[in-house]
Amino acid sequence: MADEGANPEKEAEKKIVHTYPLVKHSDMNEEMRTEAIEMSITACEKYSSNYEQAARVIKETMDKKFGIYWHVVVGEGFGFEVSYETKNILYLFFGGNLAILLWKCS
Amino acid sequence: MPNKQLQQQQQLQQRLAGGGAGGDRRKGSKLKIKSVSKSNIKDGGGDADDFDAWIKSRQLLKPDDQLELTEAELAEEVTRVLTTTNTNVIHNLVVYSFKDSAFVQVPIAGNTVTLMQMEGSALHIDSDEAKIQMEEMGEIGYPLPTLTGSFIETEVEDRKSRIPKVEEEEEEGEEKAAKQAKEADEEMPEEELEGEEEEAVEEGAADAEAAAAEEGGETAGAPTAAPATGGRKRKLLNQFNFCERSALTYTNPRRSVETQTIPPPRSQYGANVLQWKIYDSYAEDFEQQQKEKEKKDDKRGGHRKDVGAKKLDKAAEAELLNKKYLKAWQILERMINQNIYEEIANDYRYWEDPADEYREQEGTLLPLWKFNYDRIRKLSVTDLLFNPMYYDLFAVCYGSHEFMKQPNEGAICFFTVKNPSYPDYIISTESGVMCCDIHPTYPFLVAIGMYDGSVAVYNLRENYEKPLYLSVGVHNKHSECAWEIKWGPDMADGEINFYSVSTDGRVFNWVLMQNDFMITTITTLFLTNGIVEGPDGTEVQLRSCGSCMKFHPTNPEIYLVGTEEGLIYKCSIAYSSKYLMTYNAHHLTVYRIDFNRYNSNIFISCSGDWRVKVWEDMRPEPLFIFDLGSSVGDVKWAPFSSTVFAACTNEGKVFVFDLNVNKYKPICVQAVVPKRKNKLTRLVFNENLPFLIVGDDKSTVTSLKLSPNLRLMVKPPKKQQYLDQNTLQVQKLDKLLSLVRELPNDMIVPDAPTTTKS
Repeated sequence: MADEGANPEKEAEKKIVHTYPLVKHSDMNEEMRTEAIEMSITACEKYSSNYEQAARVIKETMDKKFGIYWHVVVGEGFGFEVSYETKNILYLFFGGNLAILLWKCS
Repeated sequence: MPNKQLQQQQQLQQRLAGGGAGGDRRKGSKLKIKSVSKSNIKDGGGDADDFDAWIKSRQLLKPDDQLELTEAELAEEVTRVLTTTNTNVIHNLVVYSFKDSAFVQVPIAGNTVTLMQMEGSALHIDSDEAKIQMEEMGEIGYPLPTLTGSFIETEVEDRKSRIPKVEEEEEEGEEKAAKQAKEADEEMPEEELEGEEEEAVEEGAADAEAAAAEEGGETAGAPTAAPATGGRKRKLLNQFNFCERSALTYTNPRRSVETQTIPPPRSQYGANVLQWKIYDSYAEDFEQQQKEKEKKDDKRGGHRKDVGAKKLDKAAEAELLNKKYLKAWQILERMINQNIYEEIANDYRYWEDPADEYREQEGTLLPLWKFNYDRIRKLSVTDLLFNPMYYDLFAVCYGSHEFMKQPNEGAICFFTVKNPSYPDYIISTESGVMCCDIHPTYPFLVAIGMYDGSVAVYNLRENYEKPLYLSVGVHNKHSECAWEIKWGPDMADGEINFYSVSTDGRVFNWVLMQNDFMITTITTLFLTNGIVEGPDGTEVQLRSCGSCMKFHPTNPEIYLVGTEEGLIYKCSIAYSSKYLMTYNAHHLTVYRIDFNRYNSNIFISCSGDWRVKVWEDMRPEPLFIFDLGSSVGDVKWAPFSSTVFAACTNEGKVFVFDLNVNKYKPICVQAVVPKRKNKLTRLVFNENLPFLIVGDDKSTVTSLKLSPNLRLMVKPPKKQQYLDQNTLQVQKLDKLLSLVRELPNDMIVPDAPTTTKS
């Protein structure tokens, strides 16, 4: 049992290493992407316990900066199939267990 | 009373039947009725035969109980009067009236029964109500349409016409009628039918009018009243009588313009967020990063070198392969050329002009190949030189003698007689090549001098397109065109070196070091008495401009320099400041000097002053002077004979002299190229075979074979059969020289101590 317990711990250690934001899919231009990533990260760090609040903040900021009708999903497990205005999607992992999806569709 | 009633009934009958006819008409009407009845009877019997014979006999049915009448009875006239009196009507019906407390006669019901009564909306135009209405609407005043007007008029006329008729009717007894009318007026309301109202009214009106007329008033009162009211009449509006006025405005055409923007493009994306997917992608990304880091490290390290080395290896391999093929191709090319120029090749080797046997003291030159390099067409041949090792390989320098039109390109090509079509080696330079020399012991080393004063050394064995050595920099070269270049004997340390002469009046010695040259100025060609005083007391020593140079064949220290002033200096490497001898050789530039092959004290020079002069060492006067009629570009002693030399001129001619044969005239003069177009610039003998090559100013080199008369060998005298050709040649020249020397005997200058003993 002790051994079994140790293994997950090691894995956990490994996991902890990868907390940087990992862009899984995005077709935004470079400038927009960096800004969106930074902003999502700050929001998620700030409201780490309240994903809804985080999503709301991200959405509102994006609306302000890049025009309205952004949609944001923040969560640990969900499935999605969205249609978006091309060049306006960002799907990234953050913190090792969090997926953030931003897309624009008006 | 019954009479009266009867009368009245009769009157009524008259009116109904005859339309108000006179009393005479009553009989007529009766007769008519009779005849009708008669004919009806007749139709029943006899007439059938006449008219209806064609019809099947019609059986007229007779009722059984028909009376049989006699002729008389039938002929009797029966008068039958038809009245409208309804016999069924009870005339004397009475009802008890409690009001009057008596039986009152009930009025007789009329013959008509009114089924439906309806008030009409139409008004008669003459009625009072109509008039009132018209007056009310009178404000809209239109002249009445003619149709209505005429209608009114006709109506009025009708009335007029009717009235007189009535009058006529009653004319018989106006008084009676009037009385009757009065009576009728009194009685009729009681007795007559209500349904005959109109008639009654009409009658009444007519009666009233009649009465009025009777009273004496004019009957025209009513007709005049009608038009009077018509003047005030206004138009009655109804659906048939109206006039509408309207105006149609211009309608502007409508136009619709619409645009539709392209909606921003959309895309679809979907995924599932699951914890293990997040983990996996992180792991993958991390791995990728690690790999990239490793790659970068590799790149920084020795990875690059390996790649470079590989590339080099490949290139080297390819080159090796190419070289292999190159050799094969070259052999093939030579074979093809040999096939093409087979005749020339045979001539080159074996043909001897048989005509020479019958020609005394004359010979010919047989043109062989022409050597061209396609890419160079406009440069002139500035130098020609046979390779000392390979007798049929020669170098051709391309440059220009034009001072004004100096091209910024030059070349040196190596042709071989075996392949006249294309040079074996091509070296391109940025400046015109003016001279070249091939090292005698290393026949692959070629030194060239260029128009810009720089010199270069090429190694033909490998990578020959790039110079092995190149003089670079301002001070590391001649300041002007390098005219002639010559390999010198190796230095004490074994360093190879060469000499060059230039227009700038200096002779350099170039020693090939590891990477570059080491320059030594051997001589600066100062003019004797050439000191010019400058403006502020300075003195400038003028230099003469070197144009050619020749080393002594046996003594490597001694050399001759020809100058543009026409002087020839005899110099020694050992003394840089003093000339051993100065020859006032020519009036114009000395182009070339050549030492005799058999006697090194004899040399020959040519110049732009059309002359070729043969000199003896340390003798200021030439032994022979030949005038060739134009500027002489080059002169060379033949290698096979001590007395034969050849010269080429600007006129495109080659002159061959054999002093042994003729001391005054050339034994062969031959135009090699067209006089107008081309000038011959350089000429050189082949060392082994009896042919020479001539270069012209159109980049063409022509090879010429000497006919047997031009290369006569010395026949050894019978007593001295053992002597070889070389000695014989020397003897021949000495013999000739002694003849020449004798003439200006007193002119011979005593030998100076510095000269080599002749």
